[in-house]
Amino acid sequence: MKKERNIFGKILMVLTIVFFYMPIIFMVVFSFNESKSLTHFTGFSLRWYEAMLKNHGMMESLYVTIIIALLATIVSTFVGTITAIGLSKSKKVIRNLVTQINDFPMMNPEIVTAIGLMLLFITFKIERGFVTLLLAHIAFCIPYVMLSVMPKIRSLDPNLADAAMDLGATPWQALSKVIVPQIMPGIVSGALIAFTMSFDDFIISYFSTGGGVKNLSIMVYTMSKRVNPSINAISTLVVVLITIVLVLVNVVPMIQKRTPEKTSKNPWKKCVVGVLVVVLAFFGFTRFGSSIQNKPYEGQTLHIYNWGEYTGEEVLGMFEEMTGAKVVMDNFDSNEQMYIKVANGESYDILVPSDYMIQRLIQEDMLQKLDKSKIQSGLDQLNPDVLGLPYDPNNDYSVPYFWGTVGIVYDKTKVSLEDLKKDGFGIFLDEKYRGDIYLYDSERDSFMMALKDLGYSMNTSNEQELQAAYDWLVQSVQTMEPEIVTDEIIDNMAQGRKALGLVYSGDAAYIMSENENMGYYMPESGTNLWSDAMVIPKNAKNVDLAHEFINFMCTYEAAMDNSSYVGYTSPNLEVMDELSSEGGDYDGINAYVPRTGYEKDEVFEYNEVSRKIISDLWSRVKVVASNAE
Amino acid sequence: MRNFKQLAWPYIVWCAIMLLLPMLLIFAYSVMEQGNEIVHFQLTFDNYIRFFTDPDFLLILWRSLAIAIKTTIICLILGYPIAYFIANRSDKVRNILVLCITLPMWINMLVRTYAWIGLLSSDGIISYILGIFGFGDQELLYTETAVLIGMVYNFLPFMILQINTALCKMDKSLLEASADLGANKVQTFLRVVFPLSLSGVVSGITLVFLPAVSSFFIPKLLGGGQFFLIGNVIENQFITVGEWNFGSAISMIMAAVMMLLMMLVRKVDAKSGKED
Amino acid sequence: MEMEKKKIIQFKNIVKDFDGQIVLKGIDLDIYENEFVTLLGPSGCGKTTLLRILGGFIEPTEGHVIFDGQDIAKMPPYKRELNTVFQKYALFPHMNVYDNIAFGLKIKKMSKDVIEQKVMKMLKLIGLEGYEKKDVTLLSGGQQQRVAIARALVNEPNVLLLDEPLGALDLKLRKEMQYELKRIQQEVGITFIFVTHDQEEALTMSDKIVIMKDGEIQQVGTPEDIYNEPVNRYVANFIGESNIIPARMIEDKKVRFDDITFDCVDVGFKPNELVDVVIRPEDIDIVEEAKGKMTGTVESVLFKGVHYEVMVETVPGTHVTVNMHITKNHDITSEDGKVKISANDFYLDIEDMKDIDDKEIIARADAQAWNPETDEYFSINNIETDLKPEIGEYTVTFSTQSNTSITRKIWVIDQHIVENKKANEAVSAFNFFKTADEIKESLALDTDLKLWANAQGWKLDNEDEAVDISVDYDFDVDNLKEGIYKVTFWTTGREFKIHTTDYVEEGAEIGLTFYPEDIHVMEKMGY
Repeated sequence: MKKERNIFGKILMVLTIVFFYMPIIFMVVFSFNESKSLTHFTGFSLRWYEAMLKNHGMMESLYVTIIIALLATIVSTFVGTITAIGLSKSKKVIRNLVTQINDFPMMNPEIVTAIGLMLLFITFKIERGFVTLLLAHIAFCIPYVMLSVMPKIRSLDPNLADAAMDLGATPWQALSKVIVPQIMPGIVSGALIAFTMSFDDFIISYFSTGGGVKNLSIMVYTMSKRVNPSINAISTLVVVLITIVLVLVNVVPMIQKRTPEKTSKNPWKKCVVGVLVVVLAFFGFTRFGSSIQNKPYEGQTLHIYNWGEYTGEEVLGMFEEMTGAKVVMDNFDSNEQMYIKVANGESYDILVPSDYMIQRLIQEDMLQKLDKSKIQSGLDQLNPDVLGLPYDPNNDYSVPYFWGTVGIVYDKTKVSLEDLKKDGFGIFLDEKYRGDIYLYDSERDSFMMALKDLGYSMNTSNEQELQAAYDWLVQSVQTMEPEIVTDEIIDNMAQGRKALGLVYSGDAAYIMSENENMGYYMPESGTNLWSDAMVIPKNAKNVDLAHEFINFMCTYEAAMDNSSYVGYTSPNLEVMDELSSEGGDYDGINAYVPRTGYEKDEVFEYNEVSRKIISDLWSRVKVVASNAE
Repeated sequence: MRNFKQLAWPYIVWCAIMLLLPMLLIFAYSVMEQGNEIVHFQLTFDNYIRFFTDPDFLLILWRSLAIAIKTTIICLILGYPIAYFIANRSDKVRNILVLCITLPMWINMLVRTYAWIGLLSSDGIISYILGIFGFGDQELLYTETAVLIGMVYNFLPFMILQINTALCKMDKSLLEASADLGANKVQTFLRVVFPLSLSGVVSGITLVFLPAVSSFFIPKLLGGGQFFLIGNVIENQFITVGEWNFGSAISMIMAAVMMLLMMLVRKVDAKSGKED
Repeated sequence: MEMEKKKIIQFKNIVKDFDGQIVLKGIDLDIYENEFVTLLGPSGCGKTTLLRILGGFIEPTEGHVIFDGQDIAKMPPYKRELNTVFQKYALFPHMNVYDNIAFGLKIKKMSKDVIEQKVMKMLKLIGLEGYEKKDVTLLSGGQQQRVAIARALVNEPNVLLLDEPLGALDLKLRKEMQYELKRIQQEVGITFIFVTHDQEEALTMSDKIVIMKDGEIQQVGTPEDIYNEPVNRYVANFIGESNIIPARMIEDKKVRFDDITFDCVDVGFKPNELVDVVIRPEDIDIVEEAKGKMTGTVESVLFKGVHYEVMVETVPGTHVTVNMHITKNHDITSEDGKVKISANDFYLDIEDMKDIDDKEIIARADAQAWNPETDEYFSINNIETDLKPEIGEYTVTFSTQSNTSITRKIWVIDQHIVENKKANEAVSAFNFFKTADEIKESLALDTDLKLWANAQGWKLDNEDEAVDISVDYDFDVDNLKEGIYKVTFWTTGREFKIHTTDYVEEGAEIGLTFYPEDIHVMEKMGY
């Protein structure tokens, strides 16, 4: 009987280990995959490692993660230890009070702590970035250090320090030569916990950082919408780094034991120093290896706030090569997310919002006028169809980045064109396709779809019409079991997981180029003819470089790389023509060339009242959808 | 010796600014009228009223609690036997096993969760294995099951480690005493081992339940955009909608609910500890 | 008076081996009904292991445990009809006093009222009525102890095992509990098997004592047997105080030690067999020098309350006298006056030459360098010497970093050793050189003298076994002048410890006497 239970235990243990390590092994294996697939291993290649090394945002985030973790660990270990010692001698009331407050980060949901810190930084107008990130990490690490040091102090002989001072030690010597060595195990485990917490943290970092400073978690979070095996590559790198550190920590003391005495008595110090050297050497090598040339913008930084997965693989590198400047890019999921961040004082040099948002930013006086003389050569290369659109009739503020329409991507093997022609957007209410549709998590375009299907203008501010659209959407989420996604739709539709989805034309172009069974349909009820454009906000710090960038993005080389990689329609006429003509990347893909001149198609306009209603109603739709599960 | 006391003062100031003040700010925002400037303070409870009068938000809160409870229960059911198994190994084996459990926690949570996307997708390994056992063609990704797997995956180690610590701390002579008094293994477990490990169970529950309720990246990554939990609502309010006052109110409500639940759990623990 | 009692437990050739380390080497032991048996021995002797084998917490590697005629060596503890009181009580911290005591009964699924009745009876037995709802973790050590006993006894076992149960209590409480335990044992009338390392506890409570050492039983017997007739030096030493003297059995009832033949009552040894003799301190009487069987000098008298403990030296120890040369101060001061250096001449045994190194030379010469103003010490970092491992006179120069140096002499000699075959020991010491100031500044002069003279004592049959040495001198520390003084190092010889109520003067010459039956002859312990 004893044996049986043991076998049960062993099996459970093995299964647990498998469960814990399967994702990690999976990650490592697929980082060497030749193709983009996350499910089929097609062959060995290092291309994702190349992509990772080229993507300096990724390397930067790893660097930030490690530096923050090390600094936070050092500071919080020091402060935590000192404070714990101090508290052990303080009055009970003070001790209890501090312990209570210390419990906040541990007893509160992390998101609450995170929001508290964000509000703190914003209320006191502290610009969020590396420093606030570090402060936040120190703040939540110290309580853990104290938690691990306190019991050790409590178990100390209270006369120890007195004895040391009686024998002539100064208070500082008593502390460093007697007390600290005694509580060393507690300090070490506290430091380890602090490092892990900081290294792993996402939620608090997510809310307390800014200015493009990202740690690994934030980077993965913003990149995870689309399949990107480079994430696996960088994760594998992390696994390797961690393994090295752990091996050092475990093996170095053993080696030191074998070669007794000669070396220092404290293996920890050596370990930490060793690890620091390895890490810094690694980054020193990758970061500063190749940048000592004379370029016009050498040493300057351009901060861009752009949509996720919205730039070609090479363009940023090309721009950096040309100007010598460094590009830091932050990503957003929606115009609203971008607006909130910018409105709260985050400073960027370039934003890439959509049409109606540009109109709003202009109205709220948040943009600077462009210096046309600096970008004229770029503007000349653009398609007249995307210039002079109603939100910015003279292109005083904005230069188009991408443009396109919104439509339905469908699986030709499952959906007939007749159904689409008959229903238009109404196909998202057709129960024939229940459980087989994707909606797009965008308040604007979801309402556009409903309003257009109902025959209203998508720019309506009529509350009844909006309410009708809300009901339309609620009906859809309640009866159709849709999945509300953002960029995940791209890979999922490319793999034909569902029959129908609401997409942007550029994504559709990419999907169709990956899977020939997919089609793109623009309903006859009309749709959204949108454009995203580059603008320079008022609080930009590097206006010259921003102009340089805008101009650069209009050039053939940049636009070509951008459009062919992302799949969205380029405003550069030559690029658009070339990609859609015979032999081009998007030859025969109707989604690539936007429908122009169709009278029912509209461009979004900004309206404060309807924005609020739509925003509120859409978050309600999502809540309803979530509850409908 | 007395002058060591002063060592605590800098931190007390820091504590007030970095830990206490943020909480006060959330509270202040939550009882303020619309607007992200704290300068124009206008007391209102509308934000709270709005939450409590909207059945949809209440439902989301309930669903968040429900999924966190499910996660906690699964972690407990899986974690206890594992911890028990580990605690009963020799010192050497135990240290290795504990290291095995701790090791993945060193690797970024998001990264590990991201890996599950590939594993769970409909032509991924899990589906393939399920297919072998005749459960083919299950849609796993972007379902509640996926979110549950992600949560259990991320939080199970906490449960195991807490229970394991409690079990290891237990005086082995208590088990001998119980056997000596005529209790067989099962009786010893039910009457001695389990009640004495409750402190570990409770701190394990705290460490699993708390992050599970408020997590928003696990539902977002594995549950898809239509899988909204209370954490996502808060994130949404702050990041996309921009109604910080309402977001702050939800945060306060969540913090309050958690605190209540935690107090409840501790009370149950204290009580059951005293019972037979 | 010997009534035939029933054997309740038999250990048969119990061997226990933990990962190759043999803890029990074939124990055979019978335990009878209603006995209070004590397993006595130092920690690590295997007594607790034996108890735990009986309790069922470990299985013996070999052998049988017969309980009521049945071999229970492999039976799990919860099926055995015996109960244990654990070392630190092992009370269940999550239960109150009542629930702790009721635990075993609840396991047996007795009805509630029976349980209550029994628990209450137990509480009465241990004198803790009214404590049933108390939290066990809040009880005092003695109370916890009683609860642990009650928890075991309530199950009405035939045998109660107690694993050093009094170890955690303070002295007064321990005494109280000794009587309490004995009382409870007599009241419930079952076998108690008690493990302890405290001989007094064993003597007070037991009907039978089992003395163990290194996994073997040394002696089994009543407290009186064991005290009066210890089988060997080990037992004699462990139980009570004793004078143990190596001796030779001449014939039956004749034993010879310290060159005197004594009458005794022991028989059955081979003629001329080497034996140990034990004489208890209270069996020796102090008489006039002329009337004693032995004579000696009173070394020390200590008042112990009821009696005096008198140490008498019957055979003198070994002495060696050396010359202490007091020399004038010979510090050397550097030119700038910032460094002073000092060192002494010294003697060195040619046999010690092989181990000599710089550190040792500095220590022997007591070489020091310091700043006379700040008293800050400098290290000596250069030593030059023509020292060779041959008898002769050599020089050595010590110098500091700042090149202040001092030169001294080393004499390598063949050191004379005083051997004392009768006492089986030898001592040696060197002449040495010191300044009067150094003698004055010494904080512990006896220790320093031994160090300076390198005085050592050892056993002749085992050079590694050191013998304590004392030091004598008659100079006046505060009035030393340059010259030569005698210092004597000596060992104590044969000493007897005597417990007597009569006062004697220290230094008195007295006689010692004892009866033949007070001499207990024991076998030499075989190693």
